[in-house]
Amino acid sequence: MLNNFKISFFLAYKSLRRGNIGTTILTVAIMSMIFVNLVFLPSIVSGIGEGMNVMLIDYTYSNIFIEPKKDNLYINNVDSIRKKVNSLPGVAGASAHYISGATFACEDKFVSGAIYSINPIDEVTVTKTHTGIIEGDYLSEADTDEILLGIDLAGKEGKEAEERDLGGVRVGDKITVTFRNGIIREYRVKGIFKTKSFVADGSAFITEKEMESVLGMENKASEILVKLNQRGTEEVFKKKFMELGISEDIKTWEDKAGGITGDIISSFSLITVISTVISLIMAVIVIFIIIYINTVNKRKQIGILKAVGIEKSIIIRSYVIQSLFYCFSGITIGSLLLYFLISYMIANPIDFPMGNVKPLVEQQLIIQSITGLIAVSLIAGFVPSWKTANENILKSIWG
Amino acid sequence: MIRVQDLKRIYVMGKVEVHALKGVTCKIDEGEFVAMMGPSGSGKSTLLHQLGLLDTPTEGKIMIDGVDVLSLSDHEKTVYRLTRLGYVFQEYAILPELTATENVCLPAMMRGEKKELYLKSSSDLLKTVGLGDRLHHLPQELSGGEQQRVAIARALINKPKILFADEPCANLDTKSSRQILELFKELNEELNQTIVMVTHEEWHKEYVDRVIYLKDGLIEKNY
Ligand SMILES: Nc1ncnc2c1ncn2[C@@H]1O[C@H](COP(=O)(O)OP(=O)(O)OP(=O)(O)O)[C@@H](O)[C@H]1O
Ligand SMILES: [Mg+2]
Repeated sequence: MLNNFKISFFLAYKSLRRGNIGTTILTVAIMSMIFVNLVFLPSIVSGIGEGMNVMLIDYTYSNIFIEPKKDNLYINNVDSIRKKVNSLPGVAGASAHYISGATFACEDKFVSGAIYSINPIDEVTVTKTHTGIIEGDYLSEADTDEILLGIDLAGKEGKEAEERDLGGVRVGDKITVTFRNGIIREYRVKGIFKTKSFVADGSAFITEKEMESVLGMENKASEILVKLNQRGTEEVFKKKFMELGISEDIKTWEDKAGGITGDIISSFSLITVISTVISLIMAVIVIFIIIYINTVNKRKQIGILKAVGIEKSIIIRSYVIQSLFYCFSGITIGSLLLYFLISYMIANPIDFPMGNVKPLVEQQLIIQSITGLIAVSLIAGFVPSWKTANENILKSIWG
Repeated sequence: MIRVQDLKRIYVMGKVEVHALKGVTCKIDEGEFVAMMGPSGSGKSTLLHQLGLLDTPTEGKIMIDGVDVLSLSDHEKTVYRLTRLGYVFQEYAILPELTATENVCLPAMMRGEKKELYLKSSSDLLKTVGLGDRLHHLPQELSGGEQQRVAIARALINKPKILFADEPCANLDTKSSRQILELFKELNEELNQTIVMVTHEEWHKEYVDRVIYLKDGLIEKNY
């Protein structure tokens, strides 16, 4: 048995070494391209999904999102909730927001939107908005007459004003805000931020202190964002929060995003599945054709081997070994190509409107692609050699 | 040693039937060096293919050493060919991706012989057929006659009970042909090697013990 394996290897090795180098290079090149193709697009799609999730966590929902109970407009006893939440190890911070509808006006432009309040000290532990300041400064806790604007709300100077922006407001400009309760205040723009999160970039922030004075409330919030040290532990903490007696509506970012990212990603997944299936079918056909032609060209040799007294199984195995060699060389070279391509793209992410997209290569995808290619190569190596090896000896030798 | 009884081989090509062998009965004894002669198309190669278990006859019986070889399974036939039969084809049939030595060694490797042993016997055999200085040449670097001699060496490596050779000298000059025939004669006389050789050349008769004449798929003369 071992001897039979040795002979299969011997024949495969000699055939690869002394056979047509062009065929070998071509086959390996095609294999590596197919491998890249199998991994690359799905990685980009995962990267987009992941990018969107990170945006949602970093700017919109954080890890856990607490909302008022049904039929309530506000969360009560915010201080006690904040204290309870912060007492748990594993919680990085909690930030409470008031949200009010508002109309922003500057000179003759006005835009309707939402205004958020933040406690700047809490907020920096939870969201990344402060890292997006492109002009001016972030809010301080005591600021009462200053406002932060998202870039989409502020608008860009020189550019034709769009319906949803103020046509290029700069730091230091004064804007007038009319709150939903009718109160009108004038604020100086302290900073402008750009996060690429379309929710954040279209909004405005004032301090909690200022908002409470406008709304005439205290110790309430429209939403509380809780940042965890570790993503993936949301469900655990959701339960813990409930056990702490927080009776508000506690959701994970995934519960909240389910509608948005989920739908986008599942339609992307469909594209990915289709592309993977097409790649695999292409792989099957291409590998099959190459190996088939190769084997058919060696009909005479197979006939001679049989005439000499070499077992059919040894002959077939030697072709399967050659086919696996093409496969593994292709995977190796394809992996190198992918490594360079993906490293490059991680260093230079694609600038998508919803954020920078870095490809995300999932282990499962790699395993799946490798197994797929191996399976295809086994079939492509086996079927034609099996067919030829089962032919009449004289027919294979003399045609 | 070989008993052939009423052997028929009919090739069916669409609606046309070619009766290549029409009922051959003959016997070849152990240690005989037999030539098979006859006009082109008379069925010499076909008969040799049946005897060498490379093809399956339509009808008839072949006994080798008392074994009904036609009743063997595919696998058993393969093993039988490997261990007991040596075959030299009419056209060169060596493997283009293996060197002369590798071509010759392959059947011995397949039998599981030790490496030193088969390397030694293959280089001895190649020397005997006059290729001592071509051991590591690839077939494409050898002339037709040299390739045929590699094939002969390969047929002999496993010390077959019977050597079948289909016009082994067809592509050789007189000098090389004589070398091969002398080698066959030597093997026949010294090792009592049974040899069945197809040939066209009248002068080859001086080397053999007996000639079987074939004509139109039948044995015409047998002496
Ligand atoms: N595979 C085949 N299919 C159909 N007919 C065949 C086949 N092989 C041989 N024949 C026919 O069988 C007959 C005998 O052929 P064979 O090759 O045995 O002749 P031969 O005596 O060896 O001739 P040569 O001296 O030319 O080699 C011929 O008429 C040939 O055309
Ligand atoms: Mg012939």
